[in-house]
Amino acid sequence: MEQFAQQFVNGVVLGAMYGLIALGYTMVYGIIQLWNFAHGEIFMVGAFGGLAVWTALPESLAENAFLALPLIFTAAVFTATFTAVLVERVAYRPLRSSPRITALITAIGVSIVLQESVRLFYPDGKRPQSFPGLVAEGNFSIGDVRIPWVSLFIVIVAFFAMLLLQAFVHATKTGKAMRAVSQDPDTARLMGIDVNRIIMVTFAVGAILAALAGVLQGMKFRQIDFHMGFLAGLKAFTAAVLGGIGNITGAVLGGLLLGITEVMATQYIPQGSAWKDVWAFIVLIVVLVFRPTGLLGEDVSVRA
Amino acid sequence: MKSVDSDFSPSSLSGLAGNFPPRVLLRASGLTVRFGGLLALDAVDFEVREGEIVGLIGPNGAGKTTFFNCLTGLVMPDEGEVRYKGQLLVLRPYKVAEAGLARTFQNIRLFPNMTPLENVLVGRHCHTKEGVWSALWRGKRFREAEASARMAAAEFLDFVGLVPDEDLSAHSLSYGDQRRLEIARALACEPGVLLLDEPTAGMNPRETQAMLELVQQIRDRGVAVVVIEHDMRFIFSLCDRIVVLDSGCKLSEGTSVEVRKDPRVIEAYLGISPE
Amino acid sequence: MTPVPPSASHLTSRHKTNWSEMWRSVLRLSGRWRFVLGIAGALFVWTAAFSPWASFAFGYPGKMTLSGFPGGARVYLLPLLLLVSLLFFTLPVGATAGVRAALGLLFIAGYNFIAISWEGDGVDAVAWGAWIALLGSLLLLWAFASFLWEEADGRSLSGQTAGHTAVKLPDPIWQMLLVFGGVPALLICFVYALDVEESSRFVSLICCLGAGSAALSSLGFFNWTSELLARQRTFAVILLLIAALVFPFTQDGNGYWLRVLISVGVFASAAIGLNIVVGLTGLLDLGYIAFFGIGAYVSALLSDADFTTVHVRVPFLLVLLIGATVAGLVGIFVGAPTLRLRGDYLAIVTLGFGEIFRITMNNWNGLTRGPNGIAGISDLEIPSLFGSTPLNFGDAHEVFGVSLPNFANYYFLCIFLFIGMAILFSRLGNSRIGRAWMAIREDEIAASSMGVNPVRFKLLSFALGASMAGAAGTVSAHVTQQVSPDSFTFMESILLLAAVVLGGMGTIPGALLGAGVFYLLPEKLRAFQDVRMLMFGAALIIMMRYRPEGLIPNRRRKAEFREEKSRFSAGFLKGTGELDLMQQNPVQEGGT
Repeated sequence: MEQFAQQFVNGVVLGAMYGLIALGYTMVYGIIQLWNFAHGEIFMVGAFGGLAVWTALPESLAENAFLALPLIFTAAVFTATFTAVLVERVAYRPLRSSPRITALITAIGVSIVLQESVRLFYPDGKRPQSFPGLVAEGNFSIGDVRIPWVSLFIVIVAFFAMLLLQAFVHATKTGKAMRAVSQDPDTARLMGIDVNRIIMVTFAVGAILAALAGVLQGMKFRQIDFHMGFLAGLKAFTAAVLGGIGNITGAVLGGLLLGITEVMATQYIPQGSAWKDVWAFIVLIVVLVFRPTGLLGEDVSVRA
Repeated sequence: MKSVDSDFSPSSLSGLAGNFPPRVLLRASGLTVRFGGLLALDAVDFEVREGEIVGLIGPNGAGKTTFFNCLTGLVMPDEGEVRYKGQLLVLRPYKVAEAGLARTFQNIRLFPNMTPLENVLVGRHCHTKEGVWSALWRGKRFREAEASARMAAAEFLDFVGLVPDEDLSAHSLSYGDQRRLEIARALACEPGVLLLDEPTAGMNPRETQAMLELVQQIRDRGVAVVVIEHDMRFIFSLCDRIVVLDSGCKLSEGTSVEVRKDPRVIEAYLGISPE
Repeated sequence: MTPVPPSASHLTSRHKTNWSEMWRSVLRLSGRWRFVLGIAGALFVWTAAFSPWASFAFGYPGKMTLSGFPGGARVYLLPLLLLVSLLFFTLPVGATAGVRAALGLLFIAGYNFIAISWEGDGVDAVAWGAWIALLGSLLLLWAFASFLWEEADGRSLSGQTAGHTAVKLPDPIWQMLLVFGGVPALLICFVYALDVEESSRFVSLICCLGAGSAALSSLGFFNWTSELLARQRTFAVILLLIAALVFPFTQDGNGYWLRVLISVGVFASAAIGLNIVVGLTGLLDLGYIAFFGIGAYVSALLSDADFTTVHVRVPFLLVLLIGATVAGLVGIFVGAPTLRLRGDYLAIVTLGFGEIFRITMNNWNGLTRGPNGIAGISDLEIPSLFGSTPLNFGDAHEVFGVSLPNFANYYFLCIFLFIGMAILFSRLGNSRIGRAWMAIREDEIAASSMGVNPVRFKLLSFALGASMAGAAGTVSAHVTQQVSPDSFTFMESILLLAAVVLGGMGTIPGALLGAGVFYLLPEKLRAFQDVRMLMFGAALIIMMRYRPEGLIPNRRRKAEFREEKSRFSAGFLKGTGELDLMQQNPVQEGGT
């Protein structure tokens, strides 16, 4: 039981990060029905952006978590958002009316380019880079369950980010425009919404969340590499599909479910750790077979 | 309902002898469809007899296209059943097509990157059997079947007034030709009942007149036709019988004269009772 | 994807025009100056081709320090220069072609300029020839571009209209002669390109060929050739086949290029299978390499390899069947529950399946020996047609007095495999089944309303594609003589998919060309080993942006990628129906 609770906590932490990335997938899919394959790389680029700034900080500043953390987050968010908006503008926008496969292959191309750029042009980018922990090391205990401070930090950041996102989507004018575009871009345009701008904002918001996840991932595992976006991205997309693609709450739920499943399966199934990356897909297939629109249902307006 | 039966005079059915009422081909009974809380179709009864042209009219959102979708298995009814020639239909699109119901779509749904002939050949799908081995072996049977399918497809194209062009894809046809190609494709299924969803939408009067003649020719081939249309002139001059739908309910049914006199129909269209 | 809001794209394009108009007004040339500059440019390039490009010898290939002969990369300026000179006489129609050819010259000059200064540690290493080449190509570009601007201003885009005009072909005899001359010329080019060793020369050659074909294509040349080849298809195929069969005899017993071509052949065969799934049926399969892997593992396990866990040896033809069957069955197993889903879901499920397969092979030590894989797979043995001793693929043979390396055996096998796949593809594609697949791709709802059972036909396509990959995999295991999980990564699936899409979806030559590009180019571009993937990614993006229909597109499907589907506009054409009743309600029997 104690072990179960411990693993449950680990699963929630992992799931929170999946959820953060999944939000970017789900929003972009909801608005232009594009599986933005490169979103995982935005997550990775964000982490590297944060790391680059931290490396450049003078030592006195770098050691001070209260000063360094906001800087790292800002840098990560800025790098990721810039990359995402650039990618949208250069690669995706010209293809809006193209067949799906064209856009998907472009997205894969973008993903490769981003990965390789970091590998080739980040100093010593071919090898994994160590990432600062920053938040106090050590744990606190609830009963017998020991929770690292980092994990608590991750869950708090993720929680507030998701809260802010909800507020943004439902309360702001831009958020409403976003939902309108996802329902029907043509009508939205006729209502005076600048569809291109809204799509760009969607990419930017997704990138911000992914950048947060990137830094959190670095802080938790103390290491990042140019390759980390691929698997994380795949699992996050899986999470988005699990929750029902286009559905914001669903993405978070899917992420949590996936994180918990993965941790539990690794713990309780013999030799589970060797199969660590399989569970996500197995859960996905099972869910899709029995409930093709995901757990909470899709939010993509299907036009017959 | 009863009065309609007795009033219906099969004037155009020269082939049928004596006083026997023409056989019922298609009978839908109690079709009900709900979209969430919305009752899109409310226990609609409907039938089509051999050699008939039935018009299906109603204001926008009355459920006409939903009704078609329901007959052809694109929307599953919550209640009710459809029988074709007395057989209960399994409401899956391809089963319905196999049974003998073919349709066109309100917003044309051709196979845009295939030639007109290929489009019609897809319509021949149910009437050809050749499988993987046959296609690979290309024996005599395959070649004969392929040749006869092509002949038939070319005939259907010719029937609607199109010529096969190998270098042309369907999406580059003119709008009116696309409509006609869609009809040829549906006819290639050799249906007993053809469902046309707004065949003259977006056409000019001359094209509409040609469409009217085409539908009559289709009926003369022994295919019963159900047509959804907003063009009342078209409907009234074409149809033997008209069914009016409003808000998912069958409002009225009868010949064009009857329907036009029906106060409920006028109310549904104008929103007020003329009396 | 959602249709582009027309007004928005219009706005952005207008914005762009303003910016480039500024440049145009600066760079605009009057009629006489264009010719003066153009001729000057051509002369400069001509001089540059015979002048030294490197100022001192540091091992840059092609004796670039010497003047008086067009060595190294310089020689590739000449064909383009000839083309450009001819294009002068076709102006203004040939302006687009001229710009493309001039760009090719610029790329050759620019690439070598950068490479020389890179390898020679500074711009000092660059001699005047290279400067002149740059200058000359820029002048040519300027001259041709100013023609284009004038046309764009005058709204008479004559060069672009070549696409839709009817193609005129000569008499059948001449057609055959053209094919008879053209196919071998093409192959000689190909063999010559294979022999170009240094990357500087190879890149320049690619620039030359690419720019040359781009220029010809804008003149409608490829419409003409594709029409020609369509008429003389059988003849062209036979010629190509003969050439392919003759190729090993030209290699002096050297197996290197045979080995490369074998892998091209194997992957092209698999690509044809994927073409059924993606190109014909329109299903997006991102885990296709797994089926290939299944075939490879089946073949590895059933051929009594040195490092195996199963000690049986099954005759190869049987293995081929087993591999195809197992892959097909797994395809059905994966496809049956997922093919009902929407396209993107299928994509991620297949991707997931691919990963599951790889991880399973990695972990199933008892059968697959995990990450080590199965090595030492023996050479193929098939019953000989001529004698009682079986034909061993490991042996070199002497045929017609020419010694063939042992790879030639596999090479011939690959040709047969490819032909088999191509026949499978074209026969199924041109049948009731193929039409049903295409109908599903075009519009699933309409297809099912015509009596096509979509799930059944999608499953058939998916399983057939899988078993074709499986068959190719069984051959591949013997060629590489070992299988391990890291040959079946997601990247390999993407590579195959990219080969299909870039080659041209739904065509056999496209699959061959795509596989050729992706498995030959890396061999030739070893100098760029490190940035290879970066270039690959960038190439994908650029291709999808500028030539999404692929290098050899299906003639009719080109439009799908270029024009907006007419279906979108249908909604706007609809009249408002309700008013009709009100107007025509007065009794007026049979009014029409």
